[in-house]
Amino acid sequence: MKRSLAIFLSIFVLEASIALRAETDAEVRTRKDALDIAGAFSNDGFKIRDGHWCGVVKPHDHALVAVNLYAGNQYWFSAAAEEPAKKIAVSVYDETGKQLTTESYNNEEKAAAGFSPANSGQYFVSVDLVEGEGGTFCLVYSYK
Amino acid sequence: MGMIRLAKLGLLVLTAGVFAATGATDTGRLPADQLEKAVRSDAISIPTQGELFAALGKLEKTNWSGQYRGPMPVTYRNRAQIALNLGGLIADGFIAVEAKDSQQVKNIGSDIIKLAKALGVSERLLGRGNSINEFAQNNEWDTLQEELEATQNEVKSSMQSHADQDLVILVTLGGWIRGTQVVTAAIMQKYDERSAKVLRQPALVRFMQSRINEISPELRQEPLVKGVSEQLNGIEKLVSFPAGKTPTVDEVRKINEAVGKVMTEIESKDLPK
Repeated sequence: MKRSLAIFLSIFVLEASIALRAETDAEVRTRKDALDIAGAFSNDGFKIRDGHWCGVVKPHDHALVAVNLYAGNQYWFSAAAEEPAKKIAVSVYDETGKQLTTESYNNEEKAAAGFSPANSGQYFVSVDLVEGEGGTFCLVYSYK
Repeated sequence: MGMIRLAKLGLLVLTAGVFAATGATDTGRLPADQLEKAVRSDAISIPTQGELFAALGKLEKTNWSGQYRGPMPVTYRNRAQIALNLGGLIADGFIAVEAKDSQQVKNIGSDIIKLAKALGVSERLLGRGNSINEFAQNNEWDTLQEELEATQNEVKSSMQSHADQDLVILVTLGGWIRGTQVVTAAIMQKYDERSAKVLRQPALVRFMQSRINEISPELRQEPLVKGVSEQLNGIEKLVSFPAGKTPTVDEVRKINEAVGKVMTEIESKDLPK
């Protein structure tokens, strides 16, 4: 049910965004893969936030996005990339730029980081290329 | 599919032990210039009301139905005011979902559609209204929350495709103001330090303010938008606690009064001149 909804939402978001900017096939595919990872957490009560961030991950570079999180919630940030990227990692930093300890899931071009903020406020999520060449990625997050 | 099954197994095992340990370890640091360059977007940098209410709701028993407000007009003529109220109304929808009140969800869903139509957004929203009614009828609360998020995003996407991009941030802002009004009221009713911590959001308010600064000068100079924007500067200061500091009851009250004042102006049929 959850996964069906996630897929439905991804299709809907795709349709809605066509009018703004035609998304690439790679972005659509990586978003679906990221939603698949996030869908695994749904069984544990995590809700997938209806929003995503797609971009290009490059060697020796952080793809960094700012998020605003609430103390008391638990979060998973799930990302998927596409060839020629072979392995990616997801990291979380606090508002001062300090890297935080997270639970991690890594499976080649798919990765996730789990985190429960002690303070509300701004955090930064980084998608990094560990192996391979630069490629398209997409990040989604879920919370409970 | 095999990967997904593996992921589920691995992740669920991990999840059990994840959240006990949240302490930061100084294993790396990003310089300020990189943080400054980080992508910031409405779609992922601004949390939904669902996230805010989830954080509050799990810490204490919140009297969500006690946060309802009376019926609001859906006959505004000023487009900026409609957008701000639409955001507030969507926040009300999340409140009704938290209260698990199907009739209230249906009423708000109907008002959302009316206000959205007044802005000329997609006819597809009518289908959303039907879905909201159906899910409310069947008490599908998690699905309803997702439907509300999707509705909010559909309204924004429709605005963007109709060259109403400037109104999008006003929908977001209206939702945040109403959400903050409700959360501060709930915390004041039953103060709890852990709950009060959700109010620290200086970067979020700063980001919304920066987005308002990007809208057209004409819209920015409209008295209502100008007034809300000016008051947002004061609200930013009120939610700028140092990391780790918990707002006192008095500080919570000050935030509640500030956002309440803005909300009153947003709702008023007599626009400021």
